[in-house]
Amino acid sequence: MDSLVISNIRQRPLRSAISVFGVALGVTLVMLFTGLSRGMSDDLQRRSANVRAEIVFTRPGSLATSTTANLSMKYVDLLKQIDGVEAAVPVIRHFYPSGPWGVDQVEGVDWDSFTRMSNIRLVQGRGPKAFDEVVIDEAKASRNHPVGSSLKLFGDKDLRVVGIYAPESGARAKLSLEAMQDFLEAPGKCSYVLVKVTNPAEQVAIARRINEKYPGNTVQLTGDFFPSIEKSIPGLAIFMRVLVALAAIVSALVVMLAMHTTITERTREIGILKAMGASRRYIISEIEREALAISFLGLLVGFALAALAGFFIHKATGLIFEFGPWWVLTAAVIGLVGGALGALYPAARAANLDPVTALAYE
Amino acid sequence: MATILKAEDLEKVYRVGKVDVPALRGITLTVQEGEFLAVMGPSGCGKSTMLHLMGGLLTPTKGRVIIDGEDLTAASDARRTDIRRRKIGFVFQRFNLFPTLTAEGNLRLAERIHGNGADDPDRRREILSMLKLEDKMHHKPLELSGGEQQRVALARAVVNRPAIVLADEPTGNLDTESSALVLKMFRELNDRFNQTIIMITHNPEAAAACQRIIQMRDGHIV
Repeated sequence: MDSLVISNIRQRPLRSAISVFGVALGVTLVMLFTGLSRGMSDDLQRRSANVRAEIVFTRPGSLATSTTANLSMKYVDLLKQIDGVEAAVPVIRHFYPSGPWGVDQVEGVDWDSFTRMSNIRLVQGRGPKAFDEVVIDEAKASRNHPVGSSLKLFGDKDLRVVGIYAPESGARAKLSLEAMQDFLEAPGKCSYVLVKVTNPAEQVAIARRINEKYPGNTVQLTGDFFPSIEKSIPGLAIFMRVLVALAAIVSALVVMLAMHTTITERTREIGILKAMGASRRYIISEIEREALAISFLGLLVGFALAALAGFFIHKATGLIFEFGPWWVLTAAVIGLVGGALGALYPAARAANLDPVTALAYE
Repeated sequence: MATILKAEDLEKVYRVGKVDVPALRGITLTVQEGEFLAVMGPSGCGKSTMLHLMGGLLTPTKGRVIIDGEDLTAASDARRTDIRRRKIGFVFQRFNLFPTLTAEGNLRLAERIHGNGADDPDRRREILSMLKLEDKMHHKPLELSGGEQQRVALARAVVNRPAIVLADEPTGNLDTESSALVLKMFRELNDRFNQTIIMITHNPEAAAACQRIIQMRDGHIV
C-alpha cells in the first residue's frame, strides 16, 4: 500500500476504529435527533391533512400538543348557523404518558359526524359506542391489535378494539366523544371544533366572520393549527441546534484526540518527512487527508447506525424517523468539517516540529 | 569541478538550560561536485551538527552554508525546506524508512514530496537495479534485513537526483558484510552518477572508501 494515509489507517486498526466510531457517534446522534423530530412532525401533519376541515375553533391557549377540554359544546350548534359553514364537529384530544419512551394521544369524536367530514372509513368492524370501545388506525392495528383485542390506554385502562379505520387521521386511537368527556370529567366540553366550509375558497373570509361573531376564542386555519412539532414545542428548534452542535463537537474532539495520539506516535516519521523536504503544507495536508478519510468512514458507519437504530426504535416504540436529505447533508458536513477541524491543531503542531528533535524522538 | 557545497566559519552553540554549549567552533569547508567525502571524529565532536547545518535541518549561530549556489543560512524556514527537497538527500544510521510503506512506497513518497506527484519510473528502475533491490520492492521495512533497509534508504535519498547526499553513519547499525555491500553501493553511486556524498563514519574501512577524509575534534576540523 503506497499511500501513507491509507497505510497508516490500516496499520493502527484499533485507533482507526475508535476514531471512526467517534465520528459515527456524532453523525448518528444528529441523524436520530433530527430524524425523530422530522418524522414525528411530518406524521402529525400527514394525519392532520386527512381531517379535511378548513377551520379549527378553540379557546385561547389551547395547544395542539397538550390536553385541554375547555371549549363548551354549545359552540358546535352556534358555528353551524354561520353562513358558509357546512359542518362543525367537536373533538377532544388527550395526551398521556405511554410506555417508557414518551407520550401517546387519543381522540374523542362523534364517530358518525367525524367520518362524514373527513375521508376516513372503517376497513374492519364498527365505530365506538360504549365507553370501553375504541377504534384504531391500520398502523396501530399492525402492532398486534386486531379487532376484538384489548388495548391499554391512559396508562392502565383496558379498552376493546371494535374497528380499524384508514387512512390515518389525527390520533391513532379514537373513542366516542362521550367516553372521553366521562374520562376527563369534562361533560359538555371539547378541545376544539373542526369547521368544514361549503366553499374552501372562502375559508379565510368565513374564519374572519366566526372571529367577529364569537370574539375571545381562537379561530385558525387547519394548516396553522397543526404546525410542525418544532414550532409547537417552545425551544425545540434551539434544543435541536444545540444537540447538533454538541454532536459536531464530539466528532471534532474524537478526531483531534486520535490525531494528537497518532502525531505523538509518529513524531519521528514527521522528522523524516521534514528531512526529505516535505513542506509544512504537505505535512498538514497528509494529516488532514487521514482525518478526512477517517471522517468519511465515520459518516458511512454513522448513516448505517442511524438507519439501523431508527428501524429498531420504530419497531420497539412506534416512534417515526424520517431522514431528510437536508439533514443527511448537514450530518455529512458536520462529520467531515468536525474531523478536519479536529485534526487541524495536531497537524499544525506536527508541521512546526523541529526536524532534528523529531528525528531523535524515541 | 564546480563547488557544490561551501561552509564558511560555521559556528553552532546550543543553549542547555542557562549554559551555552558550543558544538561547532568555526568550520570552513568546500566540497566539489562528485566528491565522496568522509567525516571522522570522536563522539560529540560536532559531526552530526555539521551535517544537520549543511542539510538545513539546523540554523548556525554564525557563518554560512551555500549549497549549489543557494545560501541556506540566509533562507527562511520554508525556503530551506524547499532547498532540502530539491538538492539534498539524507541517509541515516537508523534507516528511517516509513514502516507502514513498502520499499517502493518509500521511494514513491520521496518522489511525491520532490515533484508534487511527479513520477519517474525509469529513474526508479535504474536506481533499484543498481542497488539490487528489484525483488524487494513490495516488502515492508520489517521484512528486510538491515543492509536491505539501508539500501532502500539510499535509493530514497538519490531517487530525485539530489545535488548532495548527506549520510550520518550509514553503516553504524550494520554487520560487516552488509556494511561492505552498502559502502560498495555508495561508491557505485559516486562513480556512476558522479553523486556528491558527505558521509559521517567511525569506521576507518568505510572512510578508506572515500576520496577525502576530514577529521573533527571539539567542533573544529583538524
